[in-house]
Amino acid sequence: MVTPLGPDLDSFWSGLLGGGGDALTAIERFRTDDLRVGRGGEIKKIPAVASGIRSRAVALLVAAAADLRSRARLGAAPERIAVVVGTALGGVEELEHALAEDRTPRRAFDALYDAPAHALAEWLGARGPALTVSAACASGATALGVGADLLREGAADLVVAGGYDVLCRFVLRGFDALRSLTRERVRPFDRRRSGLLLGEAAGLVLLARERDVRGPRLGRLLGHGSASDASHVAAPDPEGRGLAAAIRAALSAADVGGGDIDFVSAHGTGTPLNDRIETAVLRRALGPRAEAIPVNSIKGALGHTMGAAAALEAIMCWLAAREGLIPPTAGLEEPDPLCDLDYVPGTCRAARPRLMLSTSLGFGGCNAALVLEAA
Amino acid sequence: MAAAKVGVRVESVGILTGWGRGTGALPPDARMAAAGRAVLPLARPALEGERFRRATRECLLGVEAVSAMLAEAGLERAAIRGEGTALLFVTAGAYGPSNVGFIGARSGTLHFPYTAPSALSGEVAIEFGLTGAYVILVGGAPATIDALWQAGLLLAQGRCERALVLVIEVFEDCEALWRRARWTLPAPLVETAACALLTRGDSPAVYGALGGGAGPLETAVEARAGRTLAAAPLVALALARAAGEPAARLTGSWRGRRASIELAVAGAPARV
Repeated sequence: MVTPLGPDLDSFWSGLLGGGGDALTAIERFRTDDLRVGRGGEIKKIPAVASGIRSRAVALLVAAAADLRSRARLGAAPERIAVVVGTALGGVEELEHALAEDRTPRRAFDALYDAPAHALAEWLGARGPALTVSAACASGATALGVGADLLREGAADLVVAGGYDVLCRFVLRGFDALRSLTRERVRPFDRRRSGLLLGEAAGLVLLARERDVRGPRLGRLLGHGSASDASHVAAPDPEGRGLAAAIRAALSAADVGGGDIDFVSAHGTGTPLNDRIETAVLRRALGPRAEAIPVNSIKGALGHTMGAAAALEAIMCWLAAREGLIPPTAGLEEPDPLCDLDYVPGTCRAARPRLMLSTSLGFGGCNAALVLEAA
Repeated sequence: MAAAKVGVRVESVGILTGWGRGTGALPPDARMAAAGRAVLPLARPALEGERFRRATRECLLGVEAVSAMLAEAGLERAAIRGEGTALLFVTAGAYGPSNVGFIGARSGTLHFPYTAPSALSGEVAIEFGLTGAYVILVGGAPATIDALWQAGLLLAQGRCERALVLVIEVFEDCEALWRRARWTLPAPLVETAACALLTRGDSPAVYGALGGGAGPLETAVEARAGRTLAAAPLVALALARAAGEPAARLTGSWRGRRASIELAVAGAPARV
């Protein structure tokens, strides 16, 4: 992976554990002087393996894929390797260039949202299905779920799955206009929370059927679920009905109950509305044990990485299980009485969860959930 | 090549193209009928209601496509409302107009959420009360074939009772951009909004990620409809259904990749 915390998985993990700080800085790559907010989780240096790639989205994916390949072998025939990536923005930054200075056919074609996934497949030499999931900020979760389906049904033997998105002027201007961005620190579930900050990242995992795994594995994906709010294009359902349905579907697919969950990675954007709704939904979904189950959000540390977020959060869950440490919710200092679950403030917590739940929401009323298991 | 098998049946298909409504509007030769026009546009549907006043043309076309499917099936809206209906939305570029409008500041900044592909399916979900599972894929015809296969999986796994596969392709607002790719996508580009209703069936769908060459339906769609990108497999389904075929083998290619799927097609009234 590549994140604002660093160029690989190790820097991601150490950054999350590192004392509750964040990687949210002044944006340097494009102008922000006409916007309310000019900070975010910007990756300052693209890893060398991807430094010559024109499209930043492709560069992030290739950097993440290179990190993945340094840890896992793609041991299958090329036509049996699939790529499934989630994104909220795809190649939209290429569209900005296509409309401005670059009138070439290539730039126009690269502006389509599925272009980076195909470029990744080409870089990997993967010739199986190459899918782009675009369910806004829930994209990464659905991509992992679709990837698992491809394996389960025999349409592929290996799937490189995950999510990515680029912090570009297009998206910063959009969230800025919606007044969703905070001028303060991102504080998920905190009484003083006032909004989110955006980040950019790419996170990929290699999915394989259990019987085909030869080496050590990071963890298992037991189930995924999704549900539409059918309520509003830009705001979550006030009762969180879609999120609740997605969680139920994921738990059902995993054949576990809410009370079996040991740890939750929440969407936790740090907006007043999201965190309150999510708390209420989790309380209902987790049942009587809800207050005893640790929950965190990593968006205070690296910002909301949109299409990458759910993939990063799934990886964080598996690492937490492997390392016996749950990263803190950076920015959470004064708990909100309306967000009254165990949101792991301050420093990381020693715990070794076995079953984990990850939740995601996005524009268009998209809600997704993953149930994950330790290796 | 391994193939995945799930039981699925196509109950109904509604299509709107730049040629008109349904397969009956398709000319015998799209290129000749286009008479040099690069894009065959779809008009903005005249839907009533305050909510639709600010909706994008693409969103309204999605609503119209679902309505066309319901009319074709002889179903009321209530038949698809609720958690039992999954919505699978596919497009290659229907998010383009809102993206270009936002970049060029032609649309208001509060229009930003509509730049997301999920806003299109979100509006359709709101209109018809679809609160079930969803999948949103971006790509060409293979992405729609993937979506049809995913719909079959959702049905087979009991994650829905019925599935809608919705495709919207629009070109008019971004014609200059699409024209840059005219060597890859020769004219005419034909705007299309299409929706298929799938239910559980006895016949397994056979999905292939490589798929071989272009099948007869793919060839027929290109000849009669022109370039409809991700919508082509649904136009093919509609043609197969209109011809009374019991099954359809759909093929499609995009960015050098191919996919195929074989599906049972219902000729009788829909049972949902």
